Amino acid sequence: MKKFYGNKLAIAVFTLPALSLFSIMVFYPIIQVFYKSFFKWNGLSAGTFIGIDNYLRLFDDKLFYLSNKNGFIFAAVITVFQISVATILALAVSSVKLRGRNVFRIVYFIPVVLSVTVVSQLWLSIYNADTGLLNKFFELIGSSYRQNWLSDRDKAIFAIAVVNAWQWMGYQFALILAGIKSIPTSYYEAAQIDGASPVQAHMKITMPLLAETYKFCLLISVTGGIKAFTEMFIMTSGGPGNSSYTLTYMMYSSAFRSGEFGYGLAAATILVLECLIAILVFNRVFKTENTSEGA
Amino acid sequence: MKKITSLLLVFMLLIGMLAGCAKTETETPDAPAETPVVSEPAVEPAVEDEPVTLRIYAQYSDDDTKVPYDYAVEQLAIDYPNVTLELDIQAQDDGQKLQTYAATGNLPDIFQVGLSQIETFKESGNIMILDDAAKSTGFLDRAHPSAENIIYNEDGHIYAFPYAGNELVLWYYNKALFEEYDVKVPETYEELLTAIEVFNANDIVPMSIFAKEKWITTAMYDVFATRFDPAGITKLDTGESKASEEAFTKAAETLNELVNAGMFADGATNTNYDQAAALFYEGKAAMFLNGQWEIAGSAEKLGENADWMWYPVMPGYEDNKYALSGGGAPGGYAVNPNSEHKELAAEVAAYLSEKYCEAKYMYRGNPILAVKVDESIKPETPFPTMMQKLDTEMGNITSTTKFAWGLSNPLFKVAIEDQSQFLMTKDYTPVEFVEELDKVIERMNQ
Repeated sequence: MKKFYGNKLAIAVFTLPALSLFSIMVFYPIIQVFYKSFFKWNGLSAGTFIGIDNYLRLFDDKLFYLSNKNGFIFAAVITVFQISVATILALAVSSVKLRGRNVFRIVYFIPVVLSVTVVSQLWLSIYNADTGLLNKFFELIGSSYRQNWLSDRDKAIFAIAVVNAWQWMGYQFALILAGIKSIPTSYYEAAQIDGASPVQAHMKITMPLLAETYKFCLLISVTGGIKAFTEMFIMTSGGPGNSSYTLTYMMYSSAFRSGEFGYGLAAATILVLECLIAILVFNRVFKTENTSEGA
Repeated sequence: MKKITSLLLVFMLLIGMLAGCAKTETETPDAPAETPVVSEPAVEPAVEDEPVTLRIYAQYSDDDTKVPYDYAVEQLAIDYPNVTLELDIQAQDDGQKLQTYAATGNLPDIFQVGLSQIETFKESGNIMILDDAAKSTGFLDRAHPSAENIIYNEDGHIYAFPYAGNELVLWYYNKALFEEYDVKVPETYEELLTAIEVFNANDIVPMSIFAKEKWITTAMYDVFATRFDPAGITKLDTGESKASEEAFTKAAETLNELVNAGMFADGATNTNYDQAAALFYEGKAAMFLNGQWEIAGSAEKLGENADWMWYPVMPGYEDNKYALSGGGAPGGYAVNPNSEHKELAAEVAAYLSEKYCEAKYMYRGNPILAVKVDESIKPETPFPTMMQKLDTEMGNITSTTKFAWGLSNPLFKVAIEDQSQFLMTKDYTPVEFVEELDKVIERMNQ
């Protein structure tokens, strides 16, 4: 093995296919996005170099701040909902005392395998102001809390975030459950002998040992939230008006509806940077935690 | 030996991977040149006897688009037996797919296009000038003089053969409901408010609108803009006026008042066409806004109970009664200048356009077309009363505006679509609407 790792040529050759693929399919387009964001460009012609004008305009655009705010709301809702619910359910399903846990495991994962379009249509029906299940439920319990869930400029983004949170909770659930399963049962037996309650055992054993899993869960939730697009595209088309725009939707609208590809790519660049910052922050936070635990 | 085998395997993998990126022999010509190059076809109509397959990107989603397209293809098979059309159904995606086709040099031979995309394609050399083809095929001889505005672009050239006439935004209503609740068909704003009040009191939605689609909210705002200025939103589109001018501010305030008075159903901005139409056709909504193409459908579903009315007049602006929203803009079947068979494609595009019009006349009860239909051709069924009324009243119309897809400035189009939909919600103020639009108009004028 040592001999193998010592062979630099072999390493270079074996990594070449993946590296080429990554460079062509990921790295090059990102560079292009960044480069073209300095142009006034309609997506077809050569474009005119305008320096940082697109960025100056972006930072002066109210829609940019609204889109960011929506992205962060979306990220916050799905992160809190998915990770907390997924943790509770995973802990419950991992318990050997629970009957039919295999059924629960499958049931919680079902929404993940459904198409986003199907899920969005389902929730469109649920949110329907007149005939929707949600308003009917409030009617049934005698509450007058009927809402125009998707036609309200302040509520629409929350309503859409719930859809994503509901659908992808199963994915987080699977990750956390797999993490729990990898913890040796002897740790819990030892805790039990020491007189720890199940809650204490999970707090002192499960949670710390799942740090890496949680880091991954947080990353996919937060970056998934910041770059949210599909649900708003299907459910509200960014509306009412532009109240459910996210940065990705703004990018789409600028590029494909307004024909301002340069401006759209400036928004895309900021989006890439936001996701990178999120990754760096989480890496730093979890690294610090690990270090302090190690010390 | 192992090293050599490994190296060979890696190179084979690389070659296999890159092969997917290679060009195929049948690929369409290279991406267009970056400098504007607009080709013109030969003056003589192309005659190609060998079998030719032309790719066409066209609408094919409902009876109003399927029936005419199928008829045109059927006729094409008779007159151009060597031509086969390969249909690529147009996506409702703000032209995204077409733009991608153009960007990748994969534009179909013939494609349906609207005004704002014509402008973009002109700049990038992705659309053919059809002036000569229009003459040589006799398209111009058969075109209605009233359709000039939808045939010629502002620069005087023809870029697409229109397949519809100057269509209008019509305010439909259910006569039976108005009679049942003893409501006068509103001719003035006051009467409209009364009608809204009565219908709401009887659990009838005063007007159903599929405001999830932003073009119809644009049309709704335009309807009220024409009450104060006959040119409606076209003045904003060209940057000639600002939204803060009286006419446009008043239009926003009027629409806002009507929204707050309960003119539309709860959650209208999340209602799609099927839901809105169902409300109207099931007698749950008294009025309905759509283009004139809804005539055939509404006559079929509501019979003589369906009718259209002139938009209610605002006090002090009676002169604008006959100004209508809608109208045409250049658009229709365009041709790819890089097509291998561009002359033939231009000829076929003109032919399809004419046959499309014929089918609309025969099967869709529509006599208002871009091209004159041969007198020997008769409609399958008599024109619906509403269409006859429209045909008769055509002379009274003093002006028309544009549909959202006919707007020339994409920046304004997006802004008015978003803002007009916003205005359909109760908590959005006309002040916000005006501010946002003015900002965009200012940028357009820079």
